[in-house]
Amino acid sequence: MTNKTLLGTAAALCGLIMIAATPASADLLDDIMKAKKIRVSTDLAIPPDGMMDANMKPTGSDVEVAQLLAKDWGLELEFIQTTGATRIPNVMTGKADVIISTLSVTPDRAKVIDFSKRYATLESDVGCLKSMNVKDWPDLKGKTVGVTRGTTQDTTLTNMKDKEFNIARYEDDATDVTAAVSGQIDCIGTSLPIIAQIGKKNPERIFEAKIPITTFDLAIGVKKGEPKLLEKLNAWVDQNVKNGKLNAIYKKFHGVELPPDMRG
Amino acid sequence: MSIQLDFPAVLERWPSLLGGAVLTLELACFATVLGALIGTLAAIGRGSRSPLIAGACKIYVEAIRNTPLLVQIFLVYFGLASLGLKLSAFTVAVAALTINVGAYTAEIMRAGFEAIPRGQIEAAEGLALSRLQIYWHIILLPAIEKVYPALTSQFVLLMLASSVCSQISAEELTAVANYIQSDTYRAFETYIIVAVLYVILSLVMRAGFWGLGLVLFPRRRRLGTPL
Repeated sequence: MTNKTLLGTAAALCGLIMIAATPASADLLDDIMKAKKIRVSTDLAIPPDGMMDANMKPTGSDVEVAQLLAKDWGLELEFIQTTGATRIPNVMTGKADVIISTLSVTPDRAKVIDFSKRYATLESDVGCLKSMNVKDWPDLKGKTVGVTRGTTQDTTLTNMKDKEFNIARYEDDATDVTAAVSGQIDCIGTSLPIIAQIGKKNPERIFEAKIPITTFDLAIGVKKGEPKLLEKLNAWVDQNVKNGKLNAIYKKFHGVELPPDMRG
Repeated sequence: MSIQLDFPAVLERWPSLLGGAVLTLELACFATVLGALIGTLAAIGRGSRSPLIAGACKIYVEAIRNTPLLVQIFLVYFGLASLGLKLSAFTVAVAALTINVGAYTAEIMRAGFEAIPRGQIEAAEGLALSRLQIYWHIILLPAIEKVYPALTSQFVLLMLASSVCSQISAEELTAVANYIQSDTYRAFETYIIVAVLYVILSLVMRAGFWGLGLVLFPRRRRLGTPL
């Protein structure tokens, strides 16, 4: 889901980094303040982080984080709709100013963009049918775990040594979840909110988190070479971790709190 | 403007690329053999005197030829699972590709059957060949020989179309490519290499069909001329 990089991303990445056609603008922060508007790249199709409410208004935890940022800085907010794969290209090509879209901090991504301090975390687990007795990796022997291709969950499981389970890779979260809902797979490696979704779609197949895979820091992504903007974002994150607002937003949508050191 | 291409970063993963190419070829081979069988039967069925058989074959051909392959794959993969039948992604991929190519083969074979001159069959009857002999020597083999080039390109198309099987977790060549590019961020290089691999696979398949044609059709072998 969130960490997905599909065809587009890398195509854009390789192509656009190398084609240094646009001259560097003066300073992104100045531009934002001058325009009195911040353009945020957010995926609005990944509940509960980004989604549309009944009135087709954006809502979700990332949406509220972006709204809080715009309010604190006194700016107008514009969402640049994106998918997991196009999040990074959006800021690299100047279509958006920042990414707030369940963007996990990874070393590979850090090579192409800069990250703010973490504003939330994302826990991934292997989730299995509730009835299955799975407590640790050896219990998965002979089982098949579904993942979304190219996500951090995929990479982590694929690179595990001496694993005795199989991996089934699907192109996107929707197909991965459908495979779990329809019974093609009994185990799934994905983020906590998605594991919970499966049971809602098919009450006969309730999944629960069994083995933690990773916990990623989620951060605001910025184009490289914008130190002033990054500094201001870090100060903003610090402040809103301290006053508990970020934790409140997270709890409102995810039902769980952020790690203890981020609860303000 | 300059684009820096870094092929070694992708090529160092050649074992998985090779694995993907082999799986693509396996998918294509299974589906070709089974699809040719089903397609021929469906083409014969369409010419049946029983309206029930002819109708069923027509519905099969039209239903498949008028729906996207990806939808058919999802129908088989998720449909069967919902009914409690759990098959591996590979089995489902072969089944879906077979069903798909079978319908196209049926249409091509029908064209082949219709291209057999009536007089040829009457001549065979005049020579007192049995019905089975007539069907095999006078209708089926010459029909296949007539449409052989069309069949060949249909099966090569099938091999290329098998790339959508990556959707249901069959680790064929495109699936491997998607994984490599998501890991290396080298999409351009990855897909260039994969495109070249597909061209090679196509050539391999065409060479195979050419050889098979020599075995199947004595005229080609002896005279080197098409029918």
